[in-house]
Amino acid sequence: MRPLEPTTSKQRVVYGLAFFVLFVALWSWATFGGHVSKTFLANPLTMVQEGYELLAKQGFLFDIGMTIWRVIGGFALAAVIAVPIGVLMGAYKPVEAFLEPFVSFARYLPASAFIPLLILWAGIGELQKLLVIFIGAVFQIILMVAVTVGATRRDLVEAAYTLGAGDSGVIRRVLLPSAAPEIAEILRLVLGWAWTYVIVAELIGSSSGIGHMITDSQALLNTGQIIFGIIVIGLIGLISDFLFKAFNAWLFPWKLA
Amino acid sequence: MTALRIDQVSRTFPARAGHAPTRALEPTTLDVGDNDFVTILGPSGCGKSTLLRIIAGLDRPTSGRVTLDGREVTGPGADRGMVFQSYTLFPWLTVRENIAFGLRERGVPQQGRHDIADAFIRRVGLSGFEHHWPKQLSGGMQQRTAIARALANDPKILLLDEPFGALDNQTRALMQEMLLGIWERDQKTVLFVTHDIEEAIFLGSRVIVMSARPGRVKAEIAVELPHPRSYKIKTTPEFVALKERLVEEIRTEALKVAEQA
Ligand SMILES: Nc1ncnc2c1ncn2[C@@H]1O[C@H](COP(=O)(O)OP(=O)(O)OP(=O)(O)O)[C@@H](O)[C@H]1O
Ligand SMILES: [Mg+2]
Repeated sequence: MRPLEPTTSKQRVVYGLAFFVLFVALWSWATFGGHVSKTFLANPLTMVQEGYELLAKQGFLFDIGMTIWRVIGGFALAAVIAVPIGVLMGAYKPVEAFLEPFVSFARYLPASAFIPLLILWAGIGELQKLLVIFIGAVFQIILMVAVTVGATRRDLVEAAYTLGAGDSGVIRRVLLPSAAPEIAEILRLVLGWAWTYVIVAELIGSSSGIGHMITDSQALLNTGQIIFGIIVIGLIGLISDFLFKAFNAWLFPWKLA
Repeated sequence: MTALRIDQVSRTFPARAGHAPTRALEPTTLDVGDNDFVTILGPSGCGKSTLLRIIAGLDRPTSGRVTLDGREVTGPGADRGMVFQSYTLFPWLTVRENIAFGLRERGVPQQGRHDIADAFIRRVGLSGFEHHWPKQLSGGMQQRTAIARALANDPKILLLDEPFGALDNQTRALMQEMLLGIWERDQKTVLFVTHDIEEAIFLGSRVIVMSARPGRVKAEIAVELPHPRSYKIKTTPEFVALKERLVEEIRTEALKVAEQA
């Protein structure tokens, strides 16, 4: 091993898997070996059994579907509103001066703290879940997009002007394409956070979703189900991240060339 | 008839915290006629880029005015094409799309854009690279694309700000010949900034020597070498004599800069 020396892709896979093997080994040692009480931590085998039980008999797939729809719904809502505002803020300094102080303030408001208020306003239906994710994502996206657009290379903007572009041409044909890969990365990042918000939203006052299943299992002291639920969240996050990355790479070939 | 008239143009950058105002350009007057190839030669920091940016409309003069064909310059426009000192190709567009950028802005239909762009791609010797991204090109190829991009817009005047400054000597010499070839064939009004004496003589019909900071026109020297010029001209006695004269002019200025520092 030397600093910054690259590894082969085969090595990467082996090392990456090695961690999980080690993790499960430690877990098995702690649970099968009787070092941790069954009440607090189920062993891997029980976890798998409980998971099968959940999927086959308790309609857990429906819960997974509900959670995914909430994340995507709330996230899409936030993105559709936040990206244009962020672009305008990045492009026009007066708009930035007008909105930036508020957005900077608002993005520190923890989305989970809004849950009681949102239940009051929107009930415990789907709208409330979507709004939690929306609040958690929208300000973050606005601010990061504004910074990215504002950091567009000035010389490219000037080149566009000397080629006869007007203000709208500069926004459409320079600011947007130049910021697009970064914006896609921002969305990928925030989608990851949206997963955290949705589970929190589902832990309180919900009748479906992965978070709801986890609270139910807690009441029954079924740690196997809880762990299975957490692992499912991690897996879905991993898959969506991978898809998002692949999509970005396909969308922006010039970044990789 | 004068195409471009620079009339008593000066530029002072306002003071910033802890810094006095910078007088980058003393009032400068210069006329560039139709199809003239004027080179501006001056030491680093003498305001060459500042002057070019004012002509392009990217910066406003503190005093004086710039007119092109009698119309005052108030902002950037497609009638003044610019090639920058730094690489400014749009990284998300291919070579062909970069060259067609201005055409698209003007609403030229796709087929027309491609035809014009491809013609310029051939002119700057980039055939086969139409679909490459800027990242995949060498510095010389990027600047050739930038020149083609400016020319494809058919501007009244082409402004070049040390476009070959970052290239090695061999590439630079080839690029000079290419640019001169295009000018000899197409007749364009060109204003070319450089700090390379040989480049200034080889390309220009006139060389404007600028003084050290604050910049102003110090001397103007006509280059009466015949066209078409080939690289061989660089070793002729006439060329060498001009070069000696300019070396003297520039040396005094460079010394002034060294003393100021
Ligand atoms: N935006 C700016 N604000 C303040 N000072 C500036 C600005 N742009 C340029 N200057 C100053 O004006 C002077 C002239 O700059 P300019 O870039 O025109 O020089 P130049 O002749 O093009 O030099 P070079 O050959 O190194 O490119 C420099 O002293 C520079 O520091
Ligand atoms: Mg310069």
